[in-house]
This record gives sequence, structure tokens and C-alpha cells, in this order.
Amino acid sequence: MWASIAWRLFWRELRRGELWVIAFALFLAVGSVVSLSGITQGVQSALMQRSAQFTAADKVLRSSQPFNMELIAQAEQFNVQSARQMQFDSMLFASDMMQLATIKAVDDAYPLRGTLELKQSDNISVGEQAQLRPGYLYLEARLFDLLKLTVGDSLELGMSNFIVGGVIVNEPDAPLSVFGGAPRVLMHIDDVAATQIVQPGSRIAYRYLFAGENADLAQFEAQVEPQLSVHQRWQKMDRESAIGSALERAERFLLLAGLLGIVLAACAAAVAASRYAQRHTKAVAVIKALGATTAQIRLIYGSHLLLVVLFSLLCGVIAGQLAVSGAQLGIQQYLTDYRAEFSWRPLWLGCLTGLVCATLFAARPMWRLANTAAIEVLKQPETQFVLDKLQLITGALAIWGLMWLFSGELVLSIGLFLLCAVFAALLMVTAATLVKLTKPASAGQSSAGKLALANLRRRLWANSFQLITFSLAIFLALLLYFLRAELIGQWQRQIPQGAPNHFLVNITEQQRSILNDFAQTHQITLDKYYPVVRGRLLSINDEKLQQESSKEDRSEQRVGIGRELNLTWLAALPENNQVTSGSWFSADAQAQVSIESELAQRLDISLGDNLAFSIGGQQLSASVSSIRKVDWNSLQPNFYMILSPDLLAEFPATYITAFYLEAGREQLLNQLARLMPTVTVISVDNIIKQVNGIIDQVTIALSFILVIICFAAGLVLVAQVQATLEQREQELAILRTLGARYAFLRNALVLEFAMLGAMAGVFATVLAEAMLLIVQQRVFNLPFTLHYTLWWLGPLLGVILVTTLGWWQLKRLLRIPGAQLMRRVLQG
Amino acid sequence: MNTPEVHIKAVNVAKSVKVTDGSLTILHDISLTINRGESVAIVGASGSGKSTLLSLLAGLDTPTQGEVFLGQQPLHRLSEDERAGIRAANVGFVFQSFLLLPSLTALENITLPAELAGVKDARSRGLDLLLQVGLSERADFFPAQLSGGEQQRVAIARAFITQPAVLFADEPSANLDAATGQKIEDLLFKLNAEQGTTLVLVTHNNDLADRCQRQYQMQAGRFLDINTQGIADVG
Ligand SMILES: Nc1ncnc2c1ncn2[C@@H]1O[C@H](COP(=O)(O)OP(=O)(O)OP(=O)(O)O)[C@@H](O)[C@H]1O
Ligand SMILES: [Mg+2]
Repeated sequence: MWASIAWRLFWRELRRGELWVIAFALFLAVGSVVSLSGITQGVQSALMQRSAQFTAADKVLRSSQPFNMELIAQAEQFNVQSARQMQFDSMLFASDMMQLATIKAVDDAYPLRGTLELKQSDNISVGEQAQLRPGYLYLEARLFDLLKLTVGDSLELGMSNFIVGGVIVNEPDAPLSVFGGAPRVLMHIDDVAATQIVQPGSRIAYRYLFAGENADLAQFEAQVEPQLSVHQRWQKMDRESAIGSALERAERFLLLAGLLGIVLAACAAAVAASRYAQRHTKAVAVIKALGATTAQIRLIYGSHLLLVVLFSLLCGVIAGQLAVSGAQLGIQQYLTDYRAEFSWRPLWLGCLTGLVCATLFAARPMWRLANTAAIEVLKQPETQFVLDKLQLITGALAIWGLMWLFSGELVLSIGLFLLCAVFAALLMVTAATLVKLTKPASAGQSSAGKLALANLRRRLWANSFQLITFSLAIFLALLLYFLRAELIGQWQRQIPQGAPNHFLVNITEQQRSILNDFAQTHQITLDKYYPVVRGRLLSINDEKLQQESSKEDRSEQRVGIGRELNLTWLAALPENNQVTSGSWFSADAQAQVSIESELAQRLDISLGDNLAFSIGGQQLSASVSSIRKVDWNSLQPNFYMILSPDLLAEFPATYITAFYLEAGREQLLNQLARLMPTVTVISVDNIIKQVNGIIDQVTIALSFILVIICFAAGLVLVAQVQATLEQREQELAILRTLGARYAFLRNALVLEFAMLGAMAGVFATVLAEAMLLIVQQRVFNLPFTLHYTLWWLGPLLGVILVTTLGWWQLKRLLRIPGAQLMRRVLQG
Repeated sequence: MNTPEVHIKAVNVAKSVKVTDGSLTILHDISLTINRGESVAIVGASGSGKSTLLSLLAGLDTPTQGEVFLGQQPLHRLSEDERAGIRAANVGFVFQSFLLLPSLTALENITLPAELAGVKDARSRGLDLLLQVGLSERADFFPAQLSGGEQQRVAIARAFITQPAVLFADEPSANLDAATGQKIEDLLFKLNAEQGTTLVLVTHNNDLADRCQRQYQMQAGRFLDINTQGIADVG
């Protein structure tokens, strides 16, 4: 029987505001978590897929032993695609010329991810598309000049003859190192046997490429893991890309910023639920007086909450998933072969958030409602908005729980939570003192002003609470607006417009002047020249370093120690390097070296250690005078070891430089290759494009959060005003019967909200500025600058937002004729 | 003549409430006995404690001191929910200020106690009662759309729907004009007579009080010893 009563009450109550506010608040919470987590996951998987494109597969197994076809067969069982690939260095012979090259032999399935682009030409920008076929070799552009070849010429590799089939335009898994190695050649794996290059003891890297659904891959990997020999191991996917860490930071920021929006929404739900409960106290007392038990009441009002929760969960999940799908479409524009993946995680995370908000914010007032005593029927209804302390505690706990859930870090969540709590307490006290201190007389002679102030003072604690939520809401909107600009700015600064998108490597001393002339005639601006000397680290404090046993590891360990390193000498510390201990070379530094911090850690090198290098057969030693942090995100030449100029200056060096080339001028690259065949050109244009694409996505996500926070803030306002509705009705009725005119009441109302809004705006501005200054210093390493726009925008926003929303909700009340108002009030 | 069965009994009941500066005793040492089927009026000045006493007798609240029995049930010893169960089964209540639920229609307000008690034919009983209080056409009106007298009649119909053994009515005709007040009083006594309901009502109206078999007069939280009170002791 309670069900039909519950249903009827629910249906009628929908016309009043509170249930909708709760529903909308939960909807916002669920929707934002689903969409934010979904979008971040989308961008992340886009990044994974992008790096998969750079390895031409989802997973790569490296081996120094010939292929084990058993593995390939197993992959098939798990629905995982596979491809084989061999790589070795060998000499190419063309008539009377020869050249060392890195040969990669691939099968027909290659590449599993990304695209291989070949052209039947010696020019990467013209010519027909070509297909990799047995009997043909495809060469990197510079090899055509080095060996004086054209397409169709014949070429010897090992014991076989090949025909030059074309030029490699894009090899997805070519090494990304700015210091490429030997020129690259592609061949079909079926031709390898005939060359007789594979001999016992020859250094051949075997690779198995695998691709498939994540779940299948994981199962396959688990199955294969125990079968792997010491010669086989999985290649780590390169997550240290230019954007990896920027994105990681972005994800945290997104979720935490989103969380603040959720907290606001939850506050709105809590206020609305309290209000709902308060408004129903009398009804519950009556129903109880008529014989209902507490359990019955609980069922009735619990079902109201349940219906609202189910409804908003459903809508939130649908809306969130729609947003995710939209974002996935967006990502597809930047990564053409991006495969959108459906994931349950955002959905359950969203539902969990919704449930936590509902139980810890909204359920408590409903629970308390059921405890109303029947005798309350004889008492005056409570119209004053009262803060429930226990609810404050459960609410706070819920906020902290969500912080923990989203950040995944206990310490961070506790810190953040305490910070928020202190802020809130501080605000509360300030607000209360401020309202208390304002003497009605200070509002001038206007009696409307006096009434407004009196109203503010009378609802002192409720108003202080309102003030906090308004302030927080405005603060968040402001903070996010400015931070967003700063974050985006920072990312764009990393890859500014016109940042070098081509690197030139292997430039000799003599070529520098030719290159300078070339740059001048074609109006290209060259970056500065970095000298490079190839050398080997021999020992640390006379302790011999173990030589790497097999050559296959070399590309994985970005600098295999014991193999050749790129050494440079510089007098000045490079821009995006930061000395973390020791100090940078002084002008008269003698025999010193500065080492990159991660490498230092890996090799256990500390300040003052003595490093011995071998360079072109000569030995030299240097003591470590500084350890540097290098920003690997910057697309600039970065060095593990920098020696003091006195050490290396006499050694013959090659140079690296970079330049920006506008789209459409790629034919210059061919000219450059002709002019200086030994110089390698490395293009990072694609990477930059994709980074920009991802920055766009993150920007959209940020704007999205801004919208959510604004909505949530508005919702809090609506809930708060609704909470005072009844009381206001009563007062208005009395004032009206006492003869107050419409204009007077209107002015008083507007003034009240304008004052509240102004105060909230000022608080928010101060908070936002303080936060921005901290973030600027700590995160962006920028100098202190005040945000002048903030100082007028904040208070103005507060006044406009609060007044508009207040007015929008209360203007109705003013219009109700006095008699009708009186009657409504009398009927409770 | 059968020995009358005691229906409601209060023994040395006192009620105090907490106020900002200490506690305030609003009922002092009240004892009364009401037999089944009797009609009793409680009269007295405003603020003398009539509504408070009624709420104790009906089990809406518990006394600070003393004992209250409804039938065999010691109300003063029962929990809120146990008393709710007794109210649902035995008690009808007409409040001084009607207290209809604003979001339910007249008919829904009337059937509410029956539905809570799990009565099957709540709707038809409700319609029947609406007819008796002369509001058949107002079944789907909301309280805000009804006049004060109409609301009061709905409240009375609501009190009768569970066919309670005892009906408490707090100033049932206070807000009504003489004619409507008369109609409502007739209704109460008719139901009292037809269903054998024990009727306890609070009123300022002497005519109404005189229609009851006995009267209790209250002043400042105590009973005044007046003649009519003796009738029960004698009978
Ligand atoms: N919860 C309470 N807190 C403080 N005082 C109370 C409370 N309930 C009742 N009173 C006081 O107890 C006295 C009796 O109240 P009660 O409502 O019983 O009077 P009444 O006789 O019904 O008056 P009326 O005829 O005006 O309805 C009043 O003075 C009232 O102010
Ligand atoms: Mg009374």
C-alpha cells in the first residue's frame, strides 16, 4: 500500500523544484564522470595507438634467436594478428660503390599498425605508390645519392642481387632518434635466406609484431609469458613521447577539476534534499499521526530518492557516453586509423559517483525525515534552513572518498581535502563576521537596503553557508577559466608555431657554410648548431662497465652504455635543461662533464665521479660537475652527456641543427639531400600535428569541465534559493499585508542578492588569484603576475550570477497577490 | 444496564516541555476516565493545554509523568512506532488546523490512513465518506482549492475512514460559520451514534460542549472541578 502513496506523492512533488534539483545534480555528477573519464581514456588509448603506429604493432617481442613458429600459431588461437621482422646491418654494393645500411626484412602482414608508404621513385614527394615485393629493395632517400642509384638499378646485398624498387616515404616503426643510424633499407623477408647473411653468430634482431583487441592480447601475453626464453622479451612501448607526460598531467587535472564540479553538484543535491525533507516534515508528522510507522515513511521517501537516483543515473550514463562518442569522432580526425574502444570503466565509475553522492549527500536528510515524531503536527513548522552537522561530516567524507577514487593517491587526496576544509572554515568565519559587522545604517538611507541587510543578517549561518558555496562555485569557474588558458598556453609554448619540424643530422664542419647559404637562398631560419662527437663511456671511477652482451638491446636502451654515445660540448646550459645538483661549467672549467639525471641514477653516478671516455681511439676522463634534468618533451636535441668545451673542442665533430619548413615546400628536402647526401633529414612534422590534435582534444575537455562547473554552480544557487523559498513566502505575505509596495520589495530582494553576490565574487577572486599564483610558480615556473582581468571579472560575475538566479526564482513570489500568498502560507 | 467498559484512562498525567530557559509544565496532574461509546468535551481558555492533553490521549506524544491507557494498551510505555500501530488501528484524529497533505487530492487525503492500514476497499469507503460529508464533487480537488469548511469536512472524513474506536477532534468547527459548523457537528455525532465511536472533542463552543455527555474544564493545565464532571462517577 505504501507504494501507491509513495508514487502519488512523488508524481505530485515533481512539480515542486527539489526533486529536479537532486536529479539534475546527480545527472551532472554521473554525466561528468562518465564523459571525463571516457574522454581521457579515449585520448590515452589514442596515444597508445599512436605509439603502436610507431612500432607498427600493439606489442613487439624481440628475440636474438630465429623465429619460433609455435608462437605465431598460438597468437592465431587468441585472435591476435602477427607479423615477423628481421633487422641487421649490412653492406650494399652498387657497381663500384658501397654503403653500410640497416636492412629491415618484413613479411606481407607488415605493418600491423600505422601505414607503410613507398614510392616508385627516388623522390619522396613525387611518384606512384609502390608495394613491397620480393626481389626488390626500397631505400631511404639519401641512399640514392650516396650510391648514385635510380629506380630499376640493380644492387647487391649479401649473396643476392636485387632491383631498386623505390623510396621509403614513411616507415612507421623507423627509430625516432634524432641521431638516426645508418641509412635504412626495406626488403621482403622471403629474400633473406638467399642473401646468406644469416650465419651462426651474425647479429640479427628478430621481432614478432602482434596486434589485436586488448583483452585478446592480454590473454595471449599471459599464455606466452612462461614459454619465453632469456633471448626473448617484450619491447617496452615508448610512453616517453613528447606528449606522454603532458597528457598525464592533463588527465589528473581534468579529473580533479571535474571532481570539484561534482562536489558542487553534490552540495546542490544535499541542500535540495534537506529542503525537501524540511518541507515534508509536517506531512510526515501528519502521516505518522494517522498511523504510519517509521519504516513505512522510510519506504515512501526512500522510493522517491531511489526513483530520482535511477533516473539521473540512466540519463547521466547516456549523456556521458554520447559525449565520449563525440570526442572519439573528434580524435578520429587527427588519427585516421584510431579505433574507438568501448569501455565499461567510465560507466561504473560514473554510477559509483552518483550513488556515493546520493547516499552520502541526499540520503541523510531523507533518513532523518522518517524520524520525525507524530507530535510535530502540533508544532510550528521549521522554515529556517538548518545545517545538519552529521550530514556535513558524511558529505565531507564523501568528497574525500571521491578525491581518493579519482586521484588514486591517498596522500594527495588527504592533502587536497584538508586544504579545502581549511578554506571552507576560513570562508565561513569571515563571511559570518562580515555579515555581522555590517550595521544596517551603513546601507545608506534606503529602507530597501536596510531590509536587504536585515535579511542577510537574520539568516546569518545559512547565508554564510550560501556564501561559501557561491564563492567556491565562482572561484572554480574563474580558476578553471584562467588555468585553462595557462595550460593550453604552456602546451603550445612547447610546440610553438614555427617550431623546428625538421632536424638535420651529421653535418660536417665544411657543410655548415653550404647549409647556411642554402638556408639563406631559400629563406629558411636555421636553429643553432650543436656539435656532436661519437664516443664510448669506458669506466666510472676506474670500474670497467660491463659490455652489453647482445646487440639487439641497443635501440631499446636509448643509450646502451658501452656502445657509442653522442657527446657534445657546450659552454652554456641548454634552455630546457635544469641543473639539479652541482653547478654548470664555469668559464674556466677543466675536464668536467654534466650528466642527465635519469642516466646518472641508472648508472649510479654521483657528483665528483670520474668518467673515462674513448673517442676515436683516444681516451679522456672528466669529473662529474653537475647533474641535469632534461625536458624530453621538448622537440629539441637533448644530450645525456655534455662535456666542458676544453675537452672536446679539438675532436672532429659533426653538427646537428633544425629548421621550420612550411607545408608544401617538401621538395626542398630533396634538393638538400642532393646537395649534401651524407646529411640525414628527420621530420617530426607528423608528431607535431598529432600533439596539436591531442592538445585540441584536451582543450575541448577543459571547456567541457568549465561548462559543467558553471552548471553545478548555478544548481547550488538554485537549491539554496529554493531552500529559503517558504520562509520568504511567509515574510513577503506579512510585508505585503503590512502594505509594502512591489517596487520596495523588489529593490530589497535585488539588493540582498547583489550584496551576497558581490561578497562571494570578491572571496572567489582573492582565492582564485592566490591559487593561480601558486600554480604559476609551482607548476609552470612562471614569475608572479597579477591577473587584472580577474579583479573586475570575479566580483562582477558574482553580482550578475547570484542576482540573476535569485531574481529569476523569486520574481514569481513578488507577483503573487498578497491575499493568495497569505492563504498559501497559512495552509503550511 | 451493562457496566461501562473503560476506553481511555489517564492517571496523574503531567507534561512539561523544554524551553530556552529551563522547562515549562503545561499539564499538571491530570486524571480522567472515558468509557467506550461516550462523548466527552474538553473546554477551556486558549493556551490552557487542551490540544496537548488530546495529543497524549491519542498517543501522539507521551506524558512526562503518569499513565495513559487506550483500551488495554499502556500508551506511556510504548515506542513511537508501537503507538503508530495503535493509532492506525483504533484512532481517528481531526486536527485543529486540518493538516491535509497539500499534494494529495481530497479523496486521496481521506483514503491515506486506510491505505496505511492496508484496508482493501479504501477507495469505495472514501467515496462513501465524501458523500456523507457532502463533498462528492470535490473528490479530485487539492486542499488549496477547497474552502476552510470543506477542508475541515475532508479532515473529518479522513478521521472516520478506518472506522476508529475512538475519535479525537480538536476544535472541529472553530473556523466555520454557524451553519457549516452545525453540519459538521451533526456529522460527528451521527457517526458517533451509528458506529459506537468514543468521541473526545475540544471546543470553545458551549452548544457543542453541551451536546456531549460530559465535559472537562481546563485552566492553566489543570481540570476545574465542575458539575458535569460528576456524571461519569455517578453513572
Ligand atoms: N512544544 C511546546 N513548547 C513550548 N510551549 C508549548 C509547547 N506546546 C505547547 N506549549 C504551550 O502549552 C500551552 C498549551 O498549549 P495547547 O496547544 O495545548 O493549548 P490549547 O488549550 O489547545 O489552546 P488553543 O485553544 O488556543 O488551541 C500553551 O501556552 C503553549 O504555548
Ligand atoms: Mg489547541
